[in-house]
Amino acid sequence: MVNGASLGLKAWNGPRRTGTWPRLKRYLLYTVLTLLAMGQLFPLIWLLDYSLLKSGDLFGTEFLKLPNPPQWSNYLKAWTDGLILPYFINSVIITGSTVILTVLAAFMLAFACSRMQWKLSKAVYGFVMLGMMIPIHATLLPNFQLFARLGMLDTYWSLIIPYVAFNLPFSTLVFTGFLQTVPRALEESALIDGCTIWGAMFRIVAPITKPAIVTVSVMTFVSAWNEFIMANTYLSSDRCRTLPFSVIKFIGYYTADYATQFACMMLVALPILVVYAFLNRYITEGVTMGALRG
Amino acid sequence: MYKPFSDGKAIALMVLPAVAFVLFAMVAPVFLSVYYGMTDWSGMGAMEYIGPANFREILFKDATFWRSLLNALWLAIVTIFFQNPLALLVCIMLLHSKKNSEKSERVFRTIYFIPAVISVVVTTRLWVHVFNPTYGLLNRFLSLIGLGAFKIDWLSNPRTALWSVILIVIWQGFGWAILFYYAGLVNIPKELQEAARIDGASGLKLYTKVILPLMTPVIRSTVIIALISCLKQMETVYLSTNGGPGDTTQFLANYLYLKAFVYGQYGYGCALSVIFVVVCVAGTVLLNALTQRDVGEF
Repeated sequence: MVNGASLGLKAWNGPRRTGTWPRLKRYLLYTVLTLLAMGQLFPLIWLLDYSLLKSGDLFGTEFLKLPNPPQWSNYLKAWTDGLILPYFINSVIITGSTVILTVLAAFMLAFACSRMQWKLSKAVYGFVMLGMMIPIHATLLPNFQLFARLGMLDTYWSLIIPYVAFNLPFSTLVFTGFLQTVPRALEESALIDGCTIWGAMFRIVAPITKPAIVTVSVMTFVSAWNEFIMANTYLSSDRCRTLPFSVIKFIGYYTADYATQFACMMLVALPILVVYAFLNRYITEGVTMGALRG
Repeated sequence: MYKPFSDGKAIALMVLPAVAFVLFAMVAPVFLSVYYGMTDWSGMGAMEYIGPANFREILFKDATFWRSLLNALWLAIVTIFFQNPLALLVCIMLLHSKKNSEKSERVFRTIYFIPAVISVVVTTRLWVHVFNPTYGLLNRFLSLIGLGAFKIDWLSNPRTALWSVILIVIWQGFGWAILFYYAGLVNIPKELQEAARIDGASGLKLYTKVILPLMTPVIRSTVIIALISCLKQMETVYLSTNGGPGDTTQFLANYLYLKAFVYGQYGYGCALSVIFVVVCVAGTVLLNALTQRDVGEF
């Protein structure tokens, strides 16, 4: 027997919670969300697929093609010709130093401006925050000259120093916001117990500030790890070049060897994807803690 | 009596590193730019002081400079009127789907942000391949749906180059927009929504009368961040079209770079840098002042 209910017509006069309309809405919802996810992912899947095929396959008619067998040799070639390992080590050194120095400098500044009593507190804080408005690109030309005069070009410092500077304002903002939630009584009692101000700052307050430290570290890590334009300006040899340069190495040279180029791009993207898989929670928190309060 | 919280030496030591970094890598270069900007100089050799001539030329004679600003404006328009509303809508949909399954909602959010964490070098080069006229994904897609006649060289065609570049930037920045709006929506207290529901606000009305007004501060700061980052666009342009063909995809940052390192007009490039800083600072201050409106405490 065919009735209205089995045709899905019930929803139009029945209760709205269980009928066809909410189910339809749900399908629609998931269709849109899935389409967008595909839009965000498909170019990357295409990249992964063709990095495992032969270069000539790129000129076929298929969208995607099952790699059979997968051409792992592309990755081997990308690894050696793209200087992946030396560039990776440079990236680790530069990003690691940047994160440590940024956390230290921003935490001390935030502590001084939110806890210590001094006349210029607000002025100095405002001065550092002004840095948020200065575009990186406007400092490229003068810094190139400045670093050249000081013999700093093509060294780790030529990147670490500006990286720290440009990550400071946001990091200080996050720390200051967090310190407002830490009760002052903590370091006051520590001082009464005979702690120095440095002891109170690093041994008592810093451990409580751990969530903010993690957030600042992750945000600084992502920005320093992916930075390209300053590295492209201040570095002139392979000695200090960072991971993104592996991709650049293939522009021009191996124009026909697309598969190796694609494999190289995958290798460069991989470390940050692994980090993201484990730490993406902190990126979300960083945005909530910092940007929306500013 | 010793007052540890106003110990001058300790304060100086705490503040000094941060201030030194900012002075050395941000403030000094701005002043240096002003100085170099008033010279006719190739970056090496003799430097000739010419006063504000460079600045006058940029503002009154340089068509590429104005073109760069116009391109940034187009990028900003697409970001604000297309990417941001879409992101907000998707966030609302995400929160609806959360009632159904928290896990799938988290997976979607994770996926949307993936392009944003990958190095811009990888994503831009990837898109250069996608736009490639012979083997690119885009032209292949057009053939597939029977629009093979529209196959073009997206990045070299003056009519499509800017839109192609804008597409790359929008695609990569989408995750950030989602993140901002999601954080804003989650921060709206549940009680307010419940109260509105009890008062009879439902469906569309709940969003237009309750949620959107409460989201105003978030929308405001996200739009300001988006506008300023459109002005600062460089990497994607540099790695895909380098401003070409002609100056159809030129942006301010890429232009000053090109002037200094390709055309050997270092002084002129520095003058552009100074104007760049002024535009960014003035833009931020102006936008903040124009959009300042109180929505009350919640």
